Amino acid sequence: MSRGSGGGYDRHITIFSPEGRLFQVEYAFKAVKAAGITSIGVRGKDSVCVVTQKKVPDKLLDESSVSHLFPVTKYLGLLATGMTADSRSLVTQARNEAAEFRFQYGYEMPADILAKWIADKSQVYTQHAYMRPLGVVAMVLGMDEERGPLLYKCDPAGHFYGHKATSAGMKEQEAINFLEKKMKENPAFTYDETVQTAISALQSVLQEDFKATEIEVGVVRADNPIFRSLETEEIEEHLTAISERD
Amino acid sequence: MESDHVMMMRTTASFRTSANSFYKKSKATSFVSLPSSLLDPYIGGFFEVSLKVQMGDSQYSFSLTTFSPSGKLVQIEHALTAVGSGQTSLGIKASNGVVIATEKKLPSILVDEASVQKIQNLTPNIGVVYSGMGPDFRVLVRKSRKQAEQYLRLYKEPIPVTQLVRETATVMQEFTQSGGVRPFGVSLLVAGYDDKGPQLYQVDPSGSYFSWKASAMGKNVSNAKTFLEKRYTEDMELDDAIHTAILTLKEGFEGEISSKNIEIGKIGADKVFRVLTPAEIDDYLAEVE
Repeated sequence: MSRGSGGGYDRHITIFSPEGRLFQVEYAFKAVKAAGITSIGVRGKDSVCVVTQKKVPDKLLDESSVSHLFPVTKYLGLLATGMTADSRSLVTQARNEAAEFRFQYGYEMPADILAKWIADKSQVYTQHAYMRPLGVVAMVLGMDEERGPLLYKCDPAGHFYGHKATSAGMKEQEAINFLEKKMKENPAFTYDETVQTAISALQSVLQEDFKATEIEVGVVRADNPIFRSLETEEIEEHLTAISERD
Repeated sequence: MESDHVMMMRTTASFRTSANSFYKKSKATSFVSLPSSLLDPYIGGFFEVSLKVQMGDSQYSFSLTTFSPSGKLVQIEHALTAVGSGQTSLGIKASNGVVIATEKKLPSILVDEASVQKIQNLTPNIGVVYSGMGPDFRVLVRKSRKQAEQYLRLYKEPIPVTQLVRETATVMQEFTQSGGVRPFGVSLLVAGYDDKGPQLYQVDPSGSYFSWKASAMGKNVSNAKTFLEKRYTEDMELDDAIHTAILTLKEGFEGEISSKNIEIGKIGADKVFRVLTPAEIDDYLAEVE
């Protein structure tokens, strides 16, 4: 019954490996990449925009049910990259939590508090053997009354940070390199610039030009803090603006 | 196989006097050993999770941290390795206060550094910094804050630093012995000022804690400690200590040190722990040059 140095279980449950790593958490990150989707989020001066690929694997599928962009409350959005079933579970719990927050405290749950809650929950799965970490990277976006536009990213390890721009999924690192160059001088993007930066980042990293039906775009902005998914026509306009600009 | 399982549960069972533990004196004894701190209903959402824990991890009602043949608890050693690969942090106790500091290296320039605060208050007069896994640190901060508040409510006076450190260390020890959990992958430096004066404690993943005059943890620990041993004097004042802390961080720092990639917290005779603003850090950096 001696477990020695984990007895080989350090790959199956979240206990430490001899190098002090948690293999299950690292594998969860790999699961996010294996989903084959890349997502991008950009925070502008008074708006936040998130973009993700919309891959419909079968023409017979109803595309409206294939979505990774979820409203958590009227004002908070969540973009889940990774395993679909885990995303749905996370979103359901997040919606419940946000509703209870509103009831308990009398004001809308801010984006950073929701991000912290998601991250703390993810941490529990990294410390308790009975549940595996979720294979989801969640980007939370919302307009904060005091601090303006907020974009937070939460990962399976339980980390969460506020971001000026970020990415998740298969081409995460390439996208972050692209965005670092764009955001280096701390530009203050307008709403249109924010959306177009996000979309063109995705296009550049995946090296393909999209049709409006192949991507999903979610925004919150100061003049309309309600989280919403852009319609196909609006995405068309932005795509046209990008191609004319180049 | 099954009898082995039962044997293991008997040998590692943690007898808890709280209402959380129960056992049946029947052929198939089943102990549910959970850290009692887990079942604190401190957040509505989390309480749901911990109820599931009672049902869900009955398969894990044995400790994952067990003795190796040589008598070591290897999971704790691995946790210390995780701490040792974390970002450097340090603390110095001066004659009239305590300073704690850490590197704040973020994964990308796209991260909004104002959204990250590694040094946290546990009470108005106690602060804490860590090396190791950030998410584990958040859990400990939350538990410690609650314990401090419960003490205040019961005794109507602020919790002494030693007591809070001891309770936090107890939590960390519980996670090295309870069922279905792994140890915390953080070491903490707790800085406080109470009636006994300025104090600095280091708590390790095993739950052991010591009081230090000056200490360091994380990647650059050996260089930092050597530097501190040379520079430390018993009659140091708080401002000197802050300068020494900055110089120690500089020793092993990769890249250019600035107010954006370090964090400093201090507490003086005013007994108020606070994190320095980037502007104040810039001032100290300029003085050190």
